[in-house]
Amino acid sequence: MQVLNTPTQSTNSLQTQEPFLVIDNLTKVYPTATGDFVVLDGISLGVNEGEFVCVIGHSGCGKSTLLDMVAGFRQPTEGEVRLQTQTISEPGPDRMVVFQNYSLLPWLTAYENIYLGVNSVFPNKPEAAKKHIVMEHLAMVGLADVANKKPSALSGGMKQRVCIARALALRPKVLILDEPFGALDPITREELQEELLKIWQDHQITVLMITHDIDEALFLSDRVVMMTNGPAAKIGEVMQVPFARPRDRARMMEDPKFYELRNEALDFLYHRYAHDDT
Amino acid sequence: MAVFVEVDHVDRVFKLPTGGEYIALKNIDLQIHQGEFVSLVGHSGCGKSTLLNILSGLDQPSAGGIVLEGRQVTEPGPDRMVVFQNYSLLPWLTVRENIALAVNRVMKKHPQAVRDRMIDHHIEMVGLQKAAHKRPGQISGGMKQRVAIARALAIRPKLLLLDEPFGALDALTRGGLQEQLMQICQENDVTCVMVTHDVDEALLLSDRIVLMTNGPEAHIGQIVDVPFPRPRERMEVVKHPNYYSLRNEIVYFLNQQKRAKLHKAKPVVAMAANGLEKVNLELGFIPLVDCAPLVVAKEKGLFEAHGLSHVTLNREPSWNAIADGVATGRLDAAMMVAGMPLGMTMGYGSQRPRPMVSALTLSRNGNAITFSKRLFEAGVRSLADFKAALERRPDQVHTLAAVHPTSMHNLLLRYWLASGGIDPDRDVSVTVIPPAQMVSTLKAGTIDGYCVGEPWNARAVAEGLGVVMATDNDIWPGHVEKVLGVTEAWANQYPKTHVALVKALLEACEYCDDRRNREEIAALLAQPEYVGADETHIRQGFVDPYNRGSGDAPESVLNYIQFFTGKANCPDVSEAVWMMTQMARWGITPFPRNWLEVAERVKRADIFGQAARELGMLDIGRDRRPSHLFDGIEFDPDDPLKYLDQFAIKRDLRIEEVPLDAVIVH
Repeated sequence: MQVLNTPTQSTNSLQTQEPFLVIDNLTKVYPTATGDFVVLDGISLGVNEGEFVCVIGHSGCGKSTLLDMVAGFRQPTEGEVRLQTQTISEPGPDRMVVFQNYSLLPWLTAYENIYLGVNSVFPNKPEAAKKHIVMEHLAMVGLADVANKKPSALSGGMKQRVCIARALALRPKVLILDEPFGALDPITREELQEELLKIWQDHQITVLMITHDIDEALFLSDRVVMMTNGPAAKIGEVMQVPFARPRDRARMMEDPKFYELRNEALDFLYHRYAHDDT
Repeated sequence: MAVFVEVDHVDRVFKLPTGGEYIALKNIDLQIHQGEFVSLVGHSGCGKSTLLNILSGLDQPSAGGIVLEGRQVTEPGPDRMVVFQNYSLLPWLTVRENIALAVNRVMKKHPQAVRDRMIDHHIEMVGLQKAAHKRPGQISGGMKQRVAIARALAIRPKLLLLDEPFGALDALTRGGLQEQLMQICQENDVTCVMVTHDVDEALLLSDRIVLMTNGPEAHIGQIVDVPFPRPRERMEVVKHPNYYSLRNEIVYFLNQQKRAKLHKAKPVVAMAANGLEKVNLELGFIPLVDCAPLVVAKEKGLFEAHGLSHVTLNREPSWNAIADGVATGRLDAAMMVAGMPLGMTMGYGSQRPRPMVSALTLSRNGNAITFSKRLFEAGVRSLADFKAALERRPDQVHTLAAVHPTSMHNLLLRYWLASGGIDPDRDVSVTVIPPAQMVSTLKAGTIDGYCVGEPWNARAVAEGLGVVMATDNDIWPGHVEKVLGVTEAWANQYPKTHVALVKALLEACEYCDDRRNREEIAALLAQPEYVGADETHIRQGFVDPYNRGSGDAPESVLNYIQFFTGKANCPDVSEAVWMMTQMARWGITPFPRNWLEVAERVKRADIFGQAARELGMLDIGRDRRPSHLFDGIEFDPDDPLKYLDQFAIKRDLRIEEVPLDAVIVH
């Protein structure tokens, strides 16, 4: 019995079957005139297939740098990111990113914005199939009837829905969300959180999401990764979120555990790792 | 305290280009005291920024007006400074120059040295000494907003107006700035009005939170007093026993407003059918074991059997939500805590009196007083032990919770404490927390115990968090617990529907007290749309022997909760009078000089009688005679004042006529 619990055993199992997405001892250093600036210092995290993980931390803690390295936009100084044991070295359609500021092309309609991505990733699919993929994903986010509208004619919430549809239309293995609802009003934010959960449930996709909002993190995720302050930010604490799925916001707020976790996260972010913006 | 800012019946009407008009604000009436921090919270388009603009003088009311220290506000002025979300700093000036611009303009009569001191003091106040010579483009959003706050305060305004000051910042940067703003307000005794979306921000900073309804014709929906002592510290505030109940109350208000917005398109109309005035009913319930009659009536088709073909059960988050829902007509009827119809009729908590009717008692008993495991482990096994513990530690404040001021939980908990020589207001603190938050608050350690219905005692016991000190069988076996409540106006408008509703629920009560059905009902209650709790917790006392968590073997309490047996259901005037004595004893309501009139007006035995007779059931209640609780003190319903008089521990008694007929009955 004791043998099973030795570290050797767990190392073995790690080698034989590592998690879906592995962030392995990741360090990011920027050389500056006054010396090296360490953004992230030895971040390690394994994310299982189908898991929903939120990363939370103060501005400047390197959360976005971390996501950029998972997306392949930036390269780590040390360590690596592996998806299904393959080292990530560049961006690819298996990891789609949704940003806070929508980043839709303003001269294209909602349909065309999504089609652009579908067409570049699946160039050899028949036209009808591509069209079907676009419409299927617009319908998934409830926007089939505004397919021909341009972003300027859409509300912030609708624009973000198009971004999510565009990302998922490429059938990524990992969906990366960088504070996707930060610019939305609280009601729209809650609506989109609920939609996102449903989509996640239906697609069984792996999600890595940055947020500043503790309630959002507790409602959505399986685990909340809390970062210490930069420079040289580390993972301070990883919180397991035990609420049953499918989740119901009202029900979650009846659970004593919700208040316990919320206070623990508040304590981490405002007390133990309070932010000093001077 | 003198009124500092008076917002007097302000309306704001905008002319539309199409020729019509849009009424943004309707009849806003608000008094703000000097040094007070008031937040305006509501959804987008609720007119909160319009109100702020009117306070600043940037906009004018269409009717009514603003008075600041005795003078009407008609135009902008340096005595009222506004901080906007988008900072509005001049990008070509440095931090210091931006602040200097305002100071030099407003304080031009002061010597330059005084002005410089003023500028430097305020830069220091917001901790921006190092950035004083940077331009806005070189500093973060949070720093920019600190400049804007320093600039506003540097010219010593009487009133600081903040329009979503931190809305453009991420939630965590916001947190640091909130603490800084709080400290500045505290040190400078600034009077503040802030518009915000952020409920945590409003709770941390405010003395009062004004909740605005949606426009058009936005008005003040509710004002929440924030009781946290100052100086405040975020983690202490969050751990205050009332933090999450206030937060949930505000979130609930906002969700209601959101729903109201969606429903505005299709107003609900009464559907008449089956010889009844209205067959589409919205009923409110709280997820507790004693909501069983409503669940059984729904699941067993008893509503339909009595012609009520479209009944929806609404699971409500708090007793306040129930009171509010019935008062505003969102709910047709609801299960209520026993004293609520009386309390609403008398206008508890300085609310407008609203005549209510209760024609059915839904349940008796089913509550318990749970103390934290910590108290138990410190040797508290009885009321006397608790008193001794309080005397040993006079420096410690012990907080106990009940679910609503007018509930039996509150009245029995206070009675029980006072019987042991503990003044519930002076020796301990008794606070109000919704049932579903009791266990989490006990677990967080911010309360030491509570009186609540099930499954919340059972859950605390099962999780090893608490020990049951007394069940209400120990205090007053067979007392009224939950009742059916409707407004008197509703009862007058839908008399046949009312009788049908009482019949359906009365049959359900009978079903609930047949022990053979209890297993089935426990399973029904466990469903997520009803109580949604662990079935083993629901079964405690309801089906299974009751475990107090004290280490003793669970005991079989046959009447732990009653729905029908022992003439349970007839509205009882004697009990109503007892509740009135206790509400008056603790200053929750005055004692009505016309107590019998109030009791008879609320407790409608005639409607119950008609329903019972039509079902072929006994149409009488309990015998009217003096009764007593566990301490043996006799209560004679014919002489309530003598009863009240003999209690040593009580508040100053107010005896007032409750003018029932002055209230218009629709």
